Amino acid sequence: MSGDGVGASARRVGGYGRVTGHQEYLADITLTDMLHVKLVTLDCARARIISIDKTAAEQVSGVRLIMTAEDLPHPMPRFGPQFQDRPVLATGETKYHGEPIAAVAAETKDAAEAAAKLVRVDHEVLVDGVFSVSRALDPTAPLVQDPDLRPDDPLANTNILREHHFGWGDVDSQEADLVVENTYEFPMVTHFAIEPHGFMAAPDGDGIAIWSTIQHPYLLQKTIAKLLDLPLAKVRVFAPDPGGAFGGKQNPKLEPLVAYMSLRTGRPVRLILTLDETFQAVRRASTEIRVRTGLNSDGTLVFEDFESNFLIGAYVDIADRVVTKGNYLAAGPYRVPAVRIIARGILSHTTPSTAFRGFGIPQVTWARESNLDEGARALGIDRLEIRLRNLAEQGEEFVPGDTPADGDWQQAVRRAAELLGWDEPLPAGRGRGIALGLKSGPTTGLSYSTVRLLGDGSVLIYSGTSDMGQGARTVFAQIASQELGVPLDRISVIMGDSTVVPYDQQTSASRSSVLMGTAVLRACQDIQAKVRTMAARLDGVDESEVSVEKGMVYLPGREATVTETLVTGLGPLGGELVGNGEMRKDKDLEHPLGGSALFFEFNATAVELEVDPGTGEITITKHMTVSDVGLAMNPLQVTGQDEGAAIMGLGHTLMEHYIFDEEGRIRNLGAIDYRIPTSLDLPLELRSDSIENADGPGPYGVKGISEGALLAVSPAVGSAVTEATGLIIRDLPLTPQRVWEAMMERV
Amino acid sequence: MKTFEYTRPRTVAEAVRLLNEHGPDAQLLAGGTDLVIELRNGWKEPEVVIDLKRIDELRPSITEDGGFIKISASTVMTDIAEDQRIQKYFPALVESAVVVGSVQIRARATLAGNICNGSPAADTAPPMLVYDAVVAIAGPNGMRRMQVDDFIVGPGKVALERGELVTAIELPIPQRPMGAAYTRLTRRRGTDLASITLCCGVDADGITRLAYGSVGPRAVLLVEMSGVLADPNASHETKADILNEMFLGASPSLRSMRASPDYRRAMLRVLGARALQTAIERLPRETAA
Amino acid sequence: MRDTLSIEVKVNGIDRSIEVPVHHTLLDVLREEVGLTGTKECCVVGECGACTVIVDGRPINSCLMLAVEVDGAEVTTVEGLAAEDGRLNPLQEAFLDKGAPQCGFCIPGQLMSAQALLDKKPNPTVDDVHEGLAGNLCRCAGYQQITAAVLAAAEVERQ
Repeated sequence: MSGDGVGASARRVGGYGRVTGHQEYLADITLTDMLHVKLVTLDCARARIISIDKTAAEQVSGVRLIMTAEDLPHPMPRFGPQFQDRPVLATGETKYHGEPIAAVAAETKDAAEAAAKLVRVDHEVLVDGVFSVSRALDPTAPLVQDPDLRPDDPLANTNILREHHFGWGDVDSQEADLVVENTYEFPMVTHFAIEPHGFMAAPDGDGIAIWSTIQHPYLLQKTIAKLLDLPLAKVRVFAPDPGGAFGGKQNPKLEPLVAYMSLRTGRPVRLILTLDETFQAVRRASTEIRVRTGLNSDGTLVFEDFESNFLIGAYVDIADRVVTKGNYLAAGPYRVPAVRIIARGILSHTTPSTAFRGFGIPQVTWARESNLDEGARALGIDRLEIRLRNLAEQGEEFVPGDTPADGDWQQAVRRAAELLGWDEPLPAGRGRGIALGLKSGPTTGLSYSTVRLLGDGSVLIYSGTSDMGQGARTVFAQIASQELGVPLDRISVIMGDSTVVPYDQQTSASRSSVLMGTAVLRACQDIQAKVRTMAARLDGVDESEVSVEKGMVYLPGREATVTETLVTGLGPLGGELVGNGEMRKDKDLEHPLGGSALFFEFNATAVELEVDPGTGEITITKHMTVSDVGLAMNPLQVTGQDEGAAIMGLGHTLMEHYIFDEEGRIRNLGAIDYRIPTSLDLPLELRSDSIENADGPGPYGVKGISEGALLAVSPAVGSAVTEATGLIIRDLPLTPQRVWEAMMERV
Repeated sequence: MKTFEYTRPRTVAEAVRLLNEHGPDAQLLAGGTDLVIELRNGWKEPEVVIDLKRIDELRPSITEDGGFIKISASTVMTDIAEDQRIQKYFPALVESAVVVGSVQIRARATLAGNICNGSPAADTAPPMLVYDAVVAIAGPNGMRRMQVDDFIVGPGKVALERGELVTAIELPIPQRPMGAAYTRLTRRRGTDLASITLCCGVDADGITRLAYGSVGPRAVLLVEMSGVLADPNASHETKADILNEMFLGASPSLRSMRASPDYRRAMLRVLGARALQTAIERLPRETAA
Repeated sequence: MRDTLSIEVKVNGIDRSIEVPVHHTLLDVLREEVGLTGTKECCVVGECGACTVIVDGRPINSCLMLAVEVDGAEVTTVEGLAAEDGRLNPLQEAFLDKGAPQCGFCIPGQLMSAQALLDKKPNPTVDDVHEGLAGNLCRCAGYQQITAAVLAAAEVERQ
């Protein structure tokens, strides 16, 4: 569909800047009189800091500040979105490879880098670090976190942060014809946004201004306000569009550090991480998940029993939420009479894990779907058939007490199978796999938007969403275009300035089209109501005789555009109409997740591949991904997100993983030895498709998208590898070497 | 990155003088695709960087002269891959040149630099060994020439003495019909540092030259004269046995994160057999008998 | 020892004389001295391609080239693709039509590699595009839309 309204594959709003080089990302902003910051880190994971000697570093010309824990308030300020456990700088002990110990601010980047190398940190490497689940759970292992950080917590003297229990029915009393039990591992992978994280701070009158590549500017505002004891109104957060985020940029990391440095020097400071440093800052939780699947001989699921261990790293960040939200839906989109889930977040001396596209679901999906396939094989049931047999029907309450299945998921599964040619004869040497992924959308939400219809009929939309590539600006503008009848080139979307743009809870969980989209829609409707009043006044008719729809004003005997009505109605002084919209989903304290799913992201992924019998290399010949999107407000953008998610899923399935040495150093920091897919690594055929039944809770029936197409890639590929080779591999990534090793083990 | 003195001599003689004067404190800059990384990471902190790209004698050029194709020191991979004479005489070198990094890297990286850098994983090293390349070296005592097999020493080490630099790579035009193939093992299809580099050439006399890299401190050349490997009718098993024997000297790194020693050894055999087969298929038929 | 050197370089058609620190890369100088921030910094090891610019007709990683090396050369950055009045070139138009930019951070590099490819090979195949842009990582993984855009731009240029 062409045009500017909802459903059109309109050009990206903000696209012009992106193809001309004029889009301003954080690192492109220069502040007058700005100092450059470089972190001081140790090349080891766990170390006791004995002393820090700044003498040599201070001699470097241009150095203005070397900040260490000593220079910060005592006790060390700590922060975090769930637990206030992350220190501004390491104090006493480093807990992961690359944890910042000090930071240098200097007049030039060269000086900051030179001085950072000269900061002498006298330290003792503590070799007994916790880098694995098994070591973390060993009673003789050191505690990653100081128990004092978790007073009154019965688990404070263990490396288990939290142990969560979910489920329904009684697993132990279920009788199954077949029980399949296996353990599946998922590696540590990193976001690798092409834009490295960046942070700036500057004194701003009696407050402070912060710039960050952050996804959640309003959470950052709260964090800084609390740390510095400032009112929100004195913390101005600028959040330029992130150059890729994928969850890694959700939560504050080094903003407090630059804030303190800026206040200390009285000058603007800027810290841009290197790519290597971003590897040390963010990652996905690695997991070991044991799953027992009970099946009847006809393939009906009887029970699912999970024991799920997430290795979350040294500080919690948002990882406990990843553990709960990821595991709560461990049984997936199926109707299962009895489910038991024990899920642990386990602390370790590794980079703190955080949100990452899929939010814990890719890990559990790898385990659940792979195990289901083992059951299907043992029972001699087709892998598509076993899924369709157990898949929840639309409206079915498949998780007791939660949102019922909100889409025709059968349709998506059949579509994926059909695109792949599931029923067609399998070419020699090939294998196929199909897997289903399901993720809860947001469980709470709060978004405000203001829309201003200016005197000439052009539009400003204010939205606190972060447009990090998902295309939020475009869909908000399309909503306004549709409702107010204004072409896209007369609409601007204002984001990323907390003093100008009203509050938005966060940009995560594929929420923005639904939550902020609704706020924008309501703001437009607020304007429509004002136009209606205006039109009634102009024509001297009763408001009940006027309606406003899709940019048109319908009056008795005539119709006019919104713009015509506006221009006449505003009169000689001009002016504008301002509309406000709010969308809220409140917390439900009774619910295990604090709220039911606003919607589900459902995806079916089907692949066909071949495996080189000599080298173990996998060639994906076909990759079909079908998501239930409710409605594609911009099909071009939906395709981009789905294809991108699918390829990102191939990354952790086939090639991505941190490689550690014995002392917890990440050996493959940076782009040379951490491989992500390139244009040459695409499937020979990759197609995405959307199921659109307009059955979502957002404007026009939209649901969230962007994560779905990643969820089920690994099990689909793994299953296809099994069919092609007979090998079962339960550890990712499926590198050529790992596949070859499995072939050798069989021999 | 630490600062340094940047020089760009106009003549080889001037470059040699600078090199001789500064010895290990000088670094040569050709394409810079390795050097700039080393400088940024502080792995190398030279006092002087000598940029070779303004030296007239070393300007990018590929010439045919006295039975050799001569590739000057500042000639980049892109030019090598696109040169019709190299495509004709040295197709396996082209196959290796086109997988050195990305298009952007190949527009900067030089063949001479690829060898002088001394990386065990250098893509062009195996074909240069198979094609018996000669390295032309200028130094305080004038010019000398050396087989590339003698030139490569070990990781980061080549047989250059103080004050010496490579001015060209010279490839002897094969006198007999030859079939050759280059192959490599990587972790993804896109640009990657290879875990194995391997080149195999068979000629009309039945001589097989096989070179492999990334499986030990330096790329290794092996020559098989019996004619069995090159024989299209010899059994795969017989050839496999000979190849296994040839690969016994491989010493893959125990600490590498790119591939395990076992996998590397096994893949040598797989890739070796495949490259041999391709080389045989490429040997012009009418002269193969 | 001189820490800086004066170089003459044509950037996007404009002759410039710039005093550059000898140890600064072309990327540093473009972004910090010339003020052209369209060229992006990511991996600084020549793997990601975000810093790709065209030097004397060839795409290169500006993070791996010292600024002094471009003395006398002609450099085109992403800012040099559109006309002076801001009109986009066919490649940029195609990128927008096909949805190639998502977050956009890799796009300047993708565009420069694609432009260099089209300049050299006006009728590329899908494989040519994949190969020509293999040195440009896109973590949004919009590779298919980027490829479609390059092919569409080639089509427009043919007409």
